[in-house]
Formats: sequence, C-alpha cells, structure tokens
Amino acid sequence: MDAVETSVPEGLSVARDEVTADELKALGVDLERDFPGSSAADFRRYPVLSEGGWFTVVKHQKTLRSVSRERGPLLGPIVLTSDGLDVD
Amino acid sequence: MTSLKDLDDAQFTELYGADRFTASVLASRMRYIVQHMCTGLLNNAFSLILRDWYDFAATISGPPEQNYPMSSVSNSLAMFLGTMSEAVRNTIEEYGPENLVPGDVVICNDPYRAGNHVNDICFIRPVFHGGKLISFVTLRAHQLDMGGVVPAGFSGTKRNVYENGLVIAPMLLYRDDKPVKASFNLIFDNARFCALLLPDIKTIYQNLLLGEQLILESVERYGTAAYLGAIRYATDVSAESMSTALAALPDGVYEAQEGIDCDGVDDSIEYRIKLKITKAADRMELDFSGTSPQARTSINAGILDTKTAVGVALKFLIDPATPFTSGAYRPIDIVLPAGTFISATPPDGAVFLYWESTGPVLLAVFRALEKALGRKAVGGDYGSLNIHNANGVLADGTPWVTTAQCGGEHGPWGATEAGDADSYSVVYQANNLDPATEAVESELPAVVLRKEYAPDSCGAGENRGGAAVLKDTLYLTEAEHWSSPLHTKSASGVGVYGGQAGALGATWVFHPEYRNVPRDKDLIATTPDVYAGATPVAGMLDPETRTIDPDGEYFYFASTPVWHTKPNAVFRYLTNGGGGWGSPLQRSPERVCRDVRDEYVTIEGAYRDYGVVISGDPHGDPEGLKIDHDATTKRRAELAAR
Repeated sequence: MDAVETSVPEGLSVARDEVTADELKALGVDLERDFPGSSAADFRRYPVLSEGGWFTVVKHQKTLRSVSRERGPLLGPIVLTSDGLDVD
Repeated sequence: MTSLKDLDDAQFTELYGADRFTASVLASRMRYIVQHMCTGLLNNAFSLILRDWYDFAATISGPPEQNYPMSSVSNSLAMFLGTMSEAVRNTIEEYGPENLVPGDVVICNDPYRAGNHVNDICFIRPVFHGGKLISFVTLRAHQLDMGGVVPAGFSGTKRNVYENGLVIAPMLLYRDDKPVKASFNLIFDNARFCALLLPDIKTIYQNLLLGEQLILESVERYGTAAYLGAIRYATDVSAESMSTALAALPDGVYEAQEGIDCDGVDDSIEYRIKLKITKAADRMELDFSGTSPQARTSINAGILDTKTAVGVALKFLIDPATPFTSGAYRPIDIVLPAGTFISATPPDGAVFLYWESTGPVLLAVFRALEKALGRKAVGGDYGSLNIHNANGVLADGTPWVTTAQCGGEHGPWGATEAGDADSYSVVYQANNLDPATEAVESELPAVVLRKEYAPDSCGAGENRGGAAVLKDTLYLTEAEHWSSPLHTKSASGVGVYGGQAGALGATWVFHPEYRNVPRDKDLIATTPDVYAGATPVAGMLDPETRTIDPDGEYFYFASTPVWHTKPNAVFRYLTNGGGGWGSPLQRSPERVCRDVRDEYVTIEGAYRDYGVVISGDPHGDPEGLKIDHDATTKRRAELAAR
C-alpha cells in the first residue's frame, strides 16, 4: 500500500543546437528562395531516429523540412558497456 | 514527387528493375514467405510461449548497400516489428557483412542493440545468390528462459543487466549450416529449460532455411534486379502511404502525457512520458523531451521499442490499410533522449517489461492526436499486460513454470467510430493468441476458474469500450509468483470524441486460509464483500474493503517482490476497461438495453452513465427488460444540462 510520497522526477531532453546563416549557406540553402520569410533562427540541428536508423538533421522547425540528414552512430546515443574495449 | 501510381511503365521499370506487376507479385510473395515461416514455427514449437502465445515474428530485409530496408513483416507480434529493421542492421554491421558466408545464422538478443528483451533472440540468416549477399531472413522468437535471477524472466524487480539475463552480442549460431557448439554452450550453460529451447531453436533454424529457399526460388524466376527492386518498391509504398495519411491531418502541435505507476524498488516515483507532436504537411516529428529518467528496475523499454510503439500507433490511427514495412517511418522523425524509461541504457537501465512502458507511448500518441483525428480518434485499451509469471515443483520433483498464461494478459480495446470495442484481445502493440485453458491445465498445477467480463467497466460512449476481464487462477502447489500490473493509478482506456474512460483494474491474491476453493467446493464470489480478507497486489483500493476506489490508496505491485503461496492460493486479475467513443447520451436506448441484457452494463450503470431508464431482471429474465422512454428523455436532459 502507498507508503511514501510519490514524485515525478525532472525529465531528460534532447538539445536542439542553433544553426548559423553561413552553415545553412554551406548546405546549399538559399533562405529567400527556399524558405521565404524565414531566418537562420528558424533552423535547428539535432539527432533523430527514422527509417534507416539515426541521423543528425538540420531542420526548418516550422515546416519540418530537413536541409541536411547525415547518418549518425549505429546505436544513436546508446553507449554499451563494451564500447571502447580493445581486445587486440 | 511523382506518386507511385502516376509513374509510367518505363519510369517504373527504371526505378524498380521490374514491371509493376512483377514488383507487386514479389512484394506479396515476400509477405507470404514470412507468414509461411511463422506457420512452420507455430506448428512445430515446443515451448508454451511460442506454441500458445505466438511470441515471434519474421521479416525480410534488403542488403547492406540498400541500408537494410525491411520489406515485409509477418502478421504476428507487432512489438517485434518496429525493432527488427534496426536489429538486423545493427547486428550485421557489428558482426561485419564481409564476414558472412552462405550457411550462416547470426544471433543477437541485446535490448540496446536490437530492441525487446533478452529472451527475444534475433536469428538472422543471410541469403546469397550467385555469391552475392542479397537479403536477410530473420525470425525473432521468445526463448522460455534466458537466465537471470527470475525463472522465465518476467519480472519488474530486476535491478540491472546482470540480474536481467544473458546478453548475447552479435555472434554466429550456425556456420556452413552446422551448429557452432560454443554458442549453444553459452546459451545452455546460462538458461533454464534447455530441453525445450534446443528443439525450438532447431525449428527456428529450419524455418530460416524455408525462408531462404523461397527467396531463392523467387530470385531464380524473376532475377536479382527484380527482387531487390521489389524490396525498394514495398518500402516506398509504405512511405508514400504514411505520407498521404499524414497530409490528411491538420497541421499543428499536439501534446500529451502518459505514464506508469512506479518501478520495482518502491512506489515513490511515477514515470511520465511527455510527448510533443509537430505535424506539417506530410511530415511528423515526435519529441519525447521531458520524459522521466530510466527506472531503477526492469520495467524499462529500449529506444527501438519506443520506435515500434510510435509506428504501431500511427499505423493504427491513420494508415491501417497498407502493409507495414520500415518505409512507414520515412516521413517520421523521433526525437528521444537516451536514459529515459522508454530509452534505457546499460548497465543500470534494465529492460524487460518493455511493453508496460511503451504502451503509454502508444496511448500518448492516441491522446495527443485525438483532436486532430476528430471522429477518427480511437479509445485506449486496457494498458497493461498484467503478466503473471510463476514457478514451482510438482510432487515428483519436476519443475514447472507459467509465463503470461494466468494473469490479466488479455482484455479490452477502445471503441472507434465504427462500433463497440472487443473485450478480449491483447494490448494494441501485440497480436497474439490466447493460451487455451485446456493447455494451461494439462501442463501446469493450475486451474483457470474464471474468465469473465466485469459489468460497468466499459468506457461509456455512443460506441462503448470493451469490458474489463476478470480472471481467477487456482495454484495447486506451493509457488513463487511475479505479478506486474503497472497501469492501475489512472485509466488507460482513454475515452475519445466525448466518450468516457474505462474503469480501473486491480489484482488480489486470496490465500487458502481465507478462501479455499477445493475445501469450500465453490468459486470465490465477485461481490464486494469478498475482498476485505484478500491481499491486494496492485490497484487503487479502499483500504478497508479493498474494493476498487479511484480516490482510495495505491497498493504497490512490488511491495512483496516475490509472492510465495501455499497450495490452493488464487490470484484474481481485473484488467482496466476500454475507452468509449462519442457521447454516451447519443447511444440509442435499445443498444444500452442490449448491453444490460448481455450484462456489460447494469441497470444502475445504464441510468448513471447513459441516462437510460430500464426495468426488469437482466440475469433471470434477460429478454423481459423494458425501457421507460419518457423517463429516459427526462434523465438524458438532466445529464445534458450538467
């Protein structure tokens, strides 16, 4: 039976990094042409899981259009206890 | 982008290496192949979890240069399906595709690499044609035991991967179609019930050979280019279908929370999922930021299990008519921090009862999208598999174990626009069989005394949710029990489109000193008076009467981590009820009267929840019930004014 006070601990979050106008330009994005009315502040870089596994995306937050999707680590953010073990 | 239907013949052939008809035939044939593999396993399995529960799934994946697209899945345990495309990719990439040769079988059961739990071993067979690796056939099948501190493993009280069971990193089980003895030894020196595991594994191996043979027959007939094209075609169909379904939803940001009661250490922490869904055009992003950290015991799920729950929820809600492949995720991005209770990490984030944590993921998607879906919203199900795991020894010394046969594993679904919900199924993420009572009783010292519906437990609605299931099981020998009802504090049977939530469930044990069925030669009643002397296992209960009271006290499922019972103890499971759809005041009085006749709803419940006034004796004279239409009109007006 209920013995102690119940709490919900603070949750964990994924950070969404800012992207500069120069970085967008390097990705081939022309803001006026591709995202009229938007600025670099409307984009973020973060990891996602989708078809094909993990990717680091640079994504326009309002339309969810990715301007970059680079393949991420096989297991994403998971670190196995055997990672880094060198048996050679 | 041009729709698949709008491609002309030349474009189609260029894209998929075959004409449209051939690609369709091959895509269908791949679904036939995985189904045929499953039939072969079901018909020849020895252990109860495979034979009676259908706790396995088969898939076909494409080669590494295609990034392992999963082009077909069997009609079986959905909880496996979303994990298996990553399971194949992660296993083979770690093992090294260049190290594979014809005649291999590679295995992996690590929840962090391959999803699900350690008992669910992935058996992966590379398929070669003309010396070239062209595909993989995979069977994932639950092994009755995989070591750890709990026989058969089903427990929410194991604290880390070391207590949880044997973890198998990617390794060979067969080479040149011969068993790798070291791998078998590793399993059989760590697992219980190996006399059942060995023939099951041999059956699995034979069905991998069947899948390989059927693929090679297809390739011989249609050619490698057509086969590989059909893999791409099957996943492209799924991707387009999901995109089209997403485009039909209104754009917006939709949020919801869901959770489970606690973990297996104490009841001081509730675990909460926070979900923010952003939907724009034909794309969707699901962000789980803000979700509670991983639990201290084995109620956690892995990242790939959460991916499955998202896929199942979206297929269920918006794209149910087309086959599921890995392509269904193409327009969907999942944002999920590591180290939450739905994305646990080793070694402390033990993953075993993963469906208990990803069930709320699915319900959170249901809740979040309710307004976007409108009439298409679907009510919640009973939310927890309430799995019961018990073991003991027969008089002659033979050990016995029961897994997921005698708890509250089957229960109701939520209502939809189409009609009332079923009351006896498995949770939305499963797609399994119900173990036959005769099979249970022929192999175990257990007697299933009751399987019946609880009146007034359905979420009321124009279409009502399914009824909660009440199940009593008598254990004839001494036994140890692990009980895992993890969703009893709040309703999982979410009501939608104006429907009401289903009732709360609970679990009790009746010790033989209080109620003794063989001695009393009678079943234990279901009236409120019988619970005062029962021992609560889990639920929101009145502390005196020990009957269900949503405003009562929470009784904690692991207050006794292992329930030791003497002969003739009875466990009673009552599942949650399913959610209703639409306003109960819109349900026709005649349909409510039929529910009273069938004892889904009582006369009092009809008045309270539906505003329908009925007289008569539902049990003694069910066809003599009468509706008072004038009184019903008056009562419904009162309820509508509230």
